[in-house]
Amino acid sequence: MGKVVDHGNYVPAAIPSQALQAGRGEVLDKVYVLDGNSCPQIPAAVVVDADASVRLTFIALPGSRADISLDVFIRGPHSDVSLSGVFVESGDDSISLNVNMRHLSPDCTSDQLFNTLASGSSRFDFHGKIIVAPEGQKTESFQTNRNILLSDEAQVLTKPQLEIYADDVKCSHGATIGRLNEEEQFYMRSRGIPENEARGLQMLSFISPVLDRLPSGSDIPGRLEQAIRSL
Amino acid sequence: MGKDILLKVSGLHASVGEKEILRGIDLEIRKGEVHAVMGPNGSGKSTLSSVLTGKPDYTVTGGSVYFNGEDLLAMKPEERSWAGLFMSFQYPVEIPGVTITNFMKSALDARRKAHGQEPLSGAEYLRLLREKMASVGMKPEFAKREVNVGFSGGEKKRNEIFQMAMLDPVLSILDETDSGLDVDALKIVASGVNALRSPEKSSIIITHYQKLLDYVKPDVVHVLKEGKIVLTGGLEIIEMIEKEGFDRF
Ligand SMILES: Nc1ncnc2c1ncn2[C@@H]1O[C@H](COP(=O)(O)OP(=O)(O)OP(=O)(O)O)[C@@H](O)[C@H]1O
Ligand SMILES: [Mg+2]
Repeated sequence: MGKVVDHGNYVPAAIPSQALQAGRGEVLDKVYVLDGNSCPQIPAAVVVDADASVRLTFIALPGSRADISLDVFIRGPHSDVSLSGVFVESGDDSISLNVNMRHLSPDCTSDQLFNTLASGSSRFDFHGKIIVAPEGQKTESFQTNRNILLSDEAQVLTKPQLEIYADDVKCSHGATIGRLNEEEQFYMRSRGIPENEARGLQMLSFISPVLDRLPSGSDIPGRLEQAIRSL
Repeated sequence: MGKDILLKVSGLHASVGEKEILRGIDLEIRKGEVHAVMGPNGSGKSTLSSVLTGKPDYTVTGGSVYFNGEDLLAMKPEERSWAGLFMSFQYPVEIPGVTITNFMKSALDARRKAHGQEPLSGAEYLRLLREKMASVGMKPEFAKREVNVGFSGGEKKRNEIFQMAMLDPVLSILDETDSGLDVDALKIVASGVNALRSPEKSSIIITHYQKLLDYVKPDVVHVLKEGKIVLTGGLEIIEMIEKEGFDRF
């Protein structure tokens, strides 16, 4: 993706008073699981100081409804933020995810990866913006949103955006919406793997880049696998 | 139908969308026989393989196929595999995120389940996997690779023969498995087919080259052209094609 350098009207956003704080050198690693019945308290803002490392993972199991808005303020140099998520939706689930990744300080990195499986008549909305302030030189910021529609009625809307006011940065964003690959399915079935299971393997493979980021020993991969097999 | 007939294709017609590709195929394969199918590019050889294995893209518009006396066209692709049908793909498919080990375990477990058998234990399975990989000259590290992802052309073909060895089919269809292979790999394919040769098992070898047929002598040779089998005979046909091409048909 080319750089969109806008030296014009950078307007700093105010940091809300209620925010998750990652102090200087602090390491934060949090996983939020939405499983229909329970919806955890997800912070509306995260403030990241110098040399800090923040990793937030969002998992939605079928039966969840949520409206997640997250403003990340990276305000000290040499810090790193990683956001990732797997959203498995069924029925009339609806999830919207709104992320502003604000690089206000030089030499920081951030990465976002959100993978969604939408079945039934569910809906997923993603608005993701990477904002690099004029002070954010040497920023490296990446954002990916991949979506698979498992039914004709499921809907996904994805809108990644870049707003860059510094000239020495590496940023990219990308979004895809697709379906499970049928050539792969036929190949697996021709080896005797039943259709359902072939689809399950494809879906697990699709979410595995996010699962790789979870702490080892987590029960989440097992729960997701079970949810996927029931789709 | 005679007891020793494994596959009987009668008047098979198949289309993609509006386009008719198979225009009345008749083919009878007895147990223990190796058949070669040759024919110009685009004549319908891969389409025939795909229809036999149940690829959803094709619509059968006429005819019948019986495999071991069962109506093959009524079966799902996975059921055809459980019944002992196997195709080595002309263009093997990459399955990102699924390792060869997991892929073959799922395939074997599903088949055993369909036959009312317990899954193999992890140790038994790995022993079988290693043995079959070695038999086709695949390095053990391939077990952890994602299926066909980043494989060279020859490695993909070798992986097909490995899967064939694992699944031990009753009828193997090899769709141009010899294309793009080096001499050593070609011999491995040939010995893979010859290893499966038994009075109970049969294969269909689709090829453009005489070489593989020198190693695996077919019992019957067919020429497929424009969706029909235009000639059936013995080894003399191979030589004739080699000399004169397909124009005379
Ligand atoms: N899915 C498809 N959609 C459209 N046309 C198709 C499709 N599959 C096959 N065809 C057409 O059907 C004809 C037969 O193709 P097929 O792949 O069976 O030929 P082949 O005999 O295997 O050729 P080759 O020797 O080149 O492998 C070709 O004209 C091909 O373009
Ligand atoms: Mg072909």
